[in-house]
Amino acid sequence: MPSKTLARLASAVAPVGAAAVLLLGGSGVPVRAQTAATSGMVCTTNASNTFTMTAQPGYVAMPDGNTVYMWSFAAGNQAFQLPGPTLCVNQGATVTIVLNNTLTEDVSLVFPGQESVTANGAPAQPQFDTAGNVTSLAPVAPKTNGSMTYSFVASSPGTYLYLSGSDPTKQVQMGLYGSLVVRPTQGFDFAYNRADSRFNPANEYLMLFSEVDPILHHAVELGQAYDINTYQPRYWLINGRSFPDTISDNNSPWLPSQPYGALVHIHPTTVSNPLPALVRYLNVGAYNHPFHPHGNHGRIIGRDGRALESSSHEDLSYEKFLVLLGSGQTTDALYTWTDVDAFSPTTNPIPVPQPQQQNLTYKDNATWYSGSPYLGFKGDLPVGVTSYNECGEYYHVWHSHALNEAANWDAGFGGMFTLERVDPPTPNTCP
Amino acid sequence: MSQSFSHRTLRRRGLLALGGGALAAVAGVQLAPRFGRGLSLGADSAEAAASPTNLKLVGTDGWIYLPGSVGSVQPDTLAPKPRTTYIFGFRDVTALDVGTTQAQKNRAQASAPLIYVDEMTDVRLSLTNLGLAQRPDLVDSHTIHFHGFRNAIPLFDGVPEMSIAVPIGREFTYYYKPRDPGTYMYHCHFEDVEHIQMGMTGVIFVRPRQNQGATGIPVARSAGGPASSPLGYVYNDGVAPGQARSTAYDREFVIFLTEVWADAHWRDAHIQVSDWSDYAPDYWLMNGRVYPDTIEPNYDPMVTPTATPAGDSPAERLQFQPISSLVKANAQERVLLRFVNLGYRQAAMTLPGLPMRVVGKDATLLRGRDGTDNSYLTNTVYVGPGESTDAIFTAQNTGTYRLYNRDYAYLSNAGASGLGGQLTEIRISAANSLPLQTVPQT
Repeated sequence: MPSKTLARLASAVAPVGAAAVLLLGGSGVPVRAQTAATSGMVCTTNASNTFTMTAQPGYVAMPDGNTVYMWSFAAGNQAFQLPGPTLCVNQGATVTIVLNNTLTEDVSLVFPGQESVTANGAPAQPQFDTAGNVTSLAPVAPKTNGSMTYSFVASSPGTYLYLSGSDPTKQVQMGLYGSLVVRPTQGFDFAYNRADSRFNPANEYLMLFSEVDPILHHAVELGQAYDINTYQPRYWLINGRSFPDTISDNNSPWLPSQPYGALVHIHPTTVSNPLPALVRYLNVGAYNHPFHPHGNHGRIIGRDGRALESSSHEDLSYEKFLVLLGSGQTTDALYTWTDVDAFSPTTNPIPVPQPQQQNLTYKDNATWYSGSPYLGFKGDLPVGVTSYNECGEYYHVWHSHALNEAANWDAGFGGMFTLERVDPPTPNTCP
Repeated sequence: MSQSFSHRTLRRRGLLALGGGALAAVAGVQLAPRFGRGLSLGADSAEAAASPTNLKLVGTDGWIYLPGSVGSVQPDTLAPKPRTTYIFGFRDVTALDVGTTQAQKNRAQASAPLIYVDEMTDVRLSLTNLGLAQRPDLVDSHTIHFHGFRNAIPLFDGVPEMSIAVPIGREFTYYYKPRDPGTYMYHCHFEDVEHIQMGMTGVIFVRPRQNQGATGIPVARSAGGPASSPLGYVYNDGVAPGQARSTAYDREFVIFLTEVWADAHWRDAHIQVSDWSDYAPDYWLMNGRVYPDTIEPNYDPMVTPTATPAGDSPAERLQFQPISSLVKANAQERVLLRFVNLGYRQAAMTLPGLPMRVVGKDATLLRGRDGTDNSYLTNTVYVGPGESTDAIFTAQNTGTYRLYNRDYAYLSNAGASGLGGQLTEIRISAANSLPLQTVPQT
């Protein structure tokens, strides 16, 4: 079937830069850095590891033109954003999170994978009503401007979720979640305290998976009954966005509530570029998500905030062309792409004939293809075909292989889907 | 079958396949399905480089048989009896002339032809789009995505938005140098949620160089080794057969899992559009069939059976679902199961009574970078959409065992009572009673 025209085809992708960092002032209020990188994980950091977050409502945009009512955590007094800020801390840090709640129901925070979490100084325990029923998995910031302060020591490096522990069936679906990255003592360019977990810090990416049932969100917005048994997701998000918005820059002005992109932007592995990219996967959704990165396998080196190693530190990592994440799980994977065939138009042409352009289809008259099979080269494309290609770079799709999730409601080529961009080795002509 | 075999296909694999066929005629053993041919040359690298594997596929539509009924959409009233369900799919036309190739329009098979190639042997895989006989209004292109191929370049990755697609009446040749042994899959990536669900999915696996032997490791039978050798090795494991870390096997079978959402198939036949976020499959297939058809023999889609009386024999129903899932082995043999899932739901494939050793996943030997053996024993292989798993069991006691999806909801054919869906039998007979396996899935 012909696909619907995508509402927004973001194309411009700026050069690779270091992972963006949001700085916090002395008050603990995050301040967005002026020179955030266009792709890569955006860290919110604070010198004293103290973060203020505000639970509040807002709207996010979907590529089919819809908007969806959400709840999420804003950084300090900043604008609503989905997901909540990505908190980055170093191993051993005492992390303090002040939760201010502007919503009209109680909200709390749980930190899966963290130990000895406190709430207002006391051990963070589930809350019960007088009949002994659990009302919240952690002490709450009461509704309508209540607060609660959570604290823990980030003892183990890795990738973690944080999310609401109050009515999570509803509140997590509504968007009250975010990511926490704990960097190892071995260094900021290691995923774990293992030499073989080293990565290129210019290529660190976050992939936070979630689902959205817009009918349930609409019910919450109107104050109507919320029945999880009717749950039927129509949007599948990475970092709060749906493809093609996933490949838009971080902090794209047209996505004011969805600041985090998911484009993976790397260079081929060479002698001068030996280190892999690191992708931190998290699944905060209710369903498993089988994610398939085209182009190359990833080496799975961590799971749920623990390195894949034996008790005597033997390597238990493995390569996968599909990452299957269960609900609430996280996984860390190293990625490279190597030009193993080294095809060249002059010295090593591709060994099969290239048909005339007129004998091929460029779907919907738009393509990420350069017109040339060769990395770093551009070729002719038929008149009328729009190319998003800048400098002969390669693109691979990375997407959920539950292909009903690679859609924006009823429109295909969307959803839990992003791109990997492989630029020609430097120096190149890429902008 | 009137098509001619090429000289090269007769050299090694072709001879083996023909030998198996002759044996079948004599001993009553099943015919090999029409997988890819002319493969597994078992040659040294110089010969291999000079003798690339050339395969030709077509993409088209067709009809398959599924039992039971789903509302007014299954069986489809447009389906030519005894078939019931509209599909898109591939066919292997490598050995066919142009006219016979064109005649395969509206004769797609499910699942797609099983392809196996040798590590470092160039593969040229041509795709011709024959169009859709049932939907002349629908001018969809097709592609081939070699799912999991390492360090792919976009031109040969088969994603239409990232490079090119093949329109009706045109041909494109994909090229691969398979450097990494293991179990992969291939599928069309054009409007993938639809074309994959409609059936353009199959399995491709790469046999390792180790099949040609190494110090202390005998040449595998699939590469011309002696009868005392294993049929093959799953990976370049570097250890002799019999050692704990060996991936040697005597027989191999593909367990390929897909799903059919009957409404979507009906809508594609009847010029309707599906909302894929409503996805709700009715059938769970193993190698393109549901139980009990899974244990019927392999068939040849080129051979239209002449049943008397004509009508409803398994051979007629399953002509375009040619691949059997029946696993047969002798006691003491090592049996490789290559699990692949191209449905949209996870599958928990369980095999009570026969512990399986999982030696590989996603075309990767389960071994750490420092050589640590990460293989493990299990009774259940959990395989998600787009994943593959290589598991070996050693046949122990004779008898019939069952391999099935432990999600019992997936053992029903469209809600009917009784066993159906993703279930097959493993029949273990006395040692040395079955002849050596030469072709997978036999």
